[in-house]
Amino acid sequence: MTAQTPAAQAKPYIPGRARSEVVRKVLLYAIMLAVAAVFLVPFLYTIATAFKSIPDSVNVGLPHPWTTDAWHKVWTQYDFPTYIKNSFFLAAVVVSCNLFLSALGGYAFARLRFPGRELLFLLVLGTLMVPDQLRLIPIFVMIVHWGLFGSFWSYILINLVSAVNLFFMRQYFLTIPRDFEEAAKLDGAGYFKTFWRVMLPLALPATAALAILQFQGVWNDFFWPLILFGQGNPDHYTIQLGLAELRFTYTTLWPEIAAGSLIAIIPVLVIFLAFQRFFVSGVVSAGVKG
Amino acid sequence: MATTTATEAGPSRLRASMLGARFREAGWGYAFAFVPIAVFGLFFIYPLGYAVYISFLHWGILGKTAPGSGTFNYAKVIHDPVFHTALKNIGEYTVAVVPLEMAAGLGLALLINQKIRGRNFFRSAFYFPSIASSVAIAVIVLYLFSQGGLFNHASGFTTDWYGNARTVGWGIVGMNTWTTSGTVMLFYLAALQAIPDDVYEAAALDNTGAWRTFWKITFPLLRPAHFFCLVVFGIGALKLFDQPFIVAAGASGAPNYATMYPIIYIYNAAFGVSDFGIAAAAGVLYFILIFALTVVERLTVGRQQAA
Repeated sequence: MTAQTPAAQAKPYIPGRARSEVVRKVLLYAIMLAVAAVFLVPFLYTIATAFKSIPDSVNVGLPHPWTTDAWHKVWTQYDFPTYIKNSFFLAAVVVSCNLFLSALGGYAFARLRFPGRELLFLLVLGTLMVPDQLRLIPIFVMIVHWGLFGSFWSYILINLVSAVNLFFMRQYFLTIPRDFEEAAKLDGAGYFKTFWRVMLPLALPATAALAILQFQGVWNDFFWPLILFGQGNPDHYTIQLGLAELRFTYTTLWPEIAAGSLIAIIPVLVIFLAFQRFFVSGVVSAGVKG
Repeated sequence: MATTTATEAGPSRLRASMLGARFREAGWGYAFAFVPIAVFGLFFIYPLGYAVYISFLHWGILGKTAPGSGTFNYAKVIHDPVFHTALKNIGEYTVAVVPLEMAAGLGLALLINQKIRGRNFFRSAFYFPSIASSVAIAVIVLYLFSQGGLFNHASGFTTDWYGNARTVGWGIVGMNTWTTSGTVMLFYLAALQAIPDDVYEAAALDNTGAWRTFWKITFPLLRPAHFFCLVVFGIGALKLFDQPFIVAAGASGAPNYATMYPIIYIYNAAFGVSDFGIAAAAGVLYFILIFALTVVERLTVGRQQAA
């Protein structure tokens, strides 16, 4: 540093700063990769285990030899196709119902004037305060009482529409200019037609985010399927219940457990990778506004 | 005369038709909102009262098991040492996990907020455990931290981390810090990006170092995000259920009640012991406790936030 040329002396900080900038960048990438490893290695390791044989699963490292036995067993012996079918069925019905009903209700609360609207909206928001651990007992009693115990209807009925979704749709409808509805009204469209043909298509970004997050919610749900189907209805098990059962029954059959875990993650992962934008904006806006 | 009645009839007919439109609009409003309101009333509001009702009775899976009503369920829960353990465990869990989640989430957000290549990849990687199901995560973590698992293999320990009463609580804290920090990161990221650039430019002009800039400028400016995360993830932590249920393979609280948390206790009272009265009473008590905590939080933290 002491033997600097006059040119370097004119701008004494530049070389040092550039070098420290490089060091900083390298350090930053090293930290990022190390942190990313903490998040990804467990999953990569699980993938490797899912392709191991049972005696090989006590070894750390890549499978030797590679085998799809675990996947085959999970598919043929442990009823995973049934669990997957059940989860997809519940998710499809619950997502559709939530889309339709929360849009319909959200539109009513955003745009239609009716006496008691504000009071009823307070009731909607109030449901956010009611925790599941308090609803659990009475809802179980009601479901048994109505003869719905052990039926998919029990899960669908209590998840028909959620306050978070309705609130989310209402907020979105509030941002759409009124001109669209007025144009529809001038064309003689009725209330339902205005909602269905004009407002719902305009709310497509919101409904897409809602569908994705609701699918994730149903697919990952463990608590309510456990309450409603976990008390002796194995043919109604969802994927998460099935995976829990697999782990409880075969504590250390690691390749099978690893394959089951991956099956329980993959659909949500695929949707996440395809629609990341909706995930991020949906989670943040639902959290901030809700 | 005829002309005046005509002019009078005009506005009144108009008013009548406007009134009709009002009625029509209100009718459609009720029709659109009916099913959601019915669902919320039936599955949220009504159960509140029903839970309180059951909590004063002897109630099994199929209904009343004995005559009489009173506060006996509450007395049993309040004097149950297992319930005390559950409260102690959830208290320790929440006090440990919330600051850890927030610190980890803020750290991730700061990393992602740097101007570097591959930001989207890193953000997805950090957020990934947040989207995976709690059951799959718990099962995978149990595998990695089993006695012969990857962690012990790499670190030289021989502990059965999730089978040991002394370590299992911290194990659940670690597991959930790992999965939740990605979600915390998203909130902090949104807050960081809302800080205007000129704040940092001013700091750069003053030659303030990065460390000092963070503690003197960024961290205080994130105050609303801190309070938001404290409330949201604090309440979330109190609802702990899935992970201890998977770890203990049920609601027994094994090993030695180390995985006994309030909602596990409620579940066990209902489906382990088949005493719905006890379960309902514990649910009501826990609800009151959380509600009181929320009120206290609003009065202290919330007031600071407003100031």
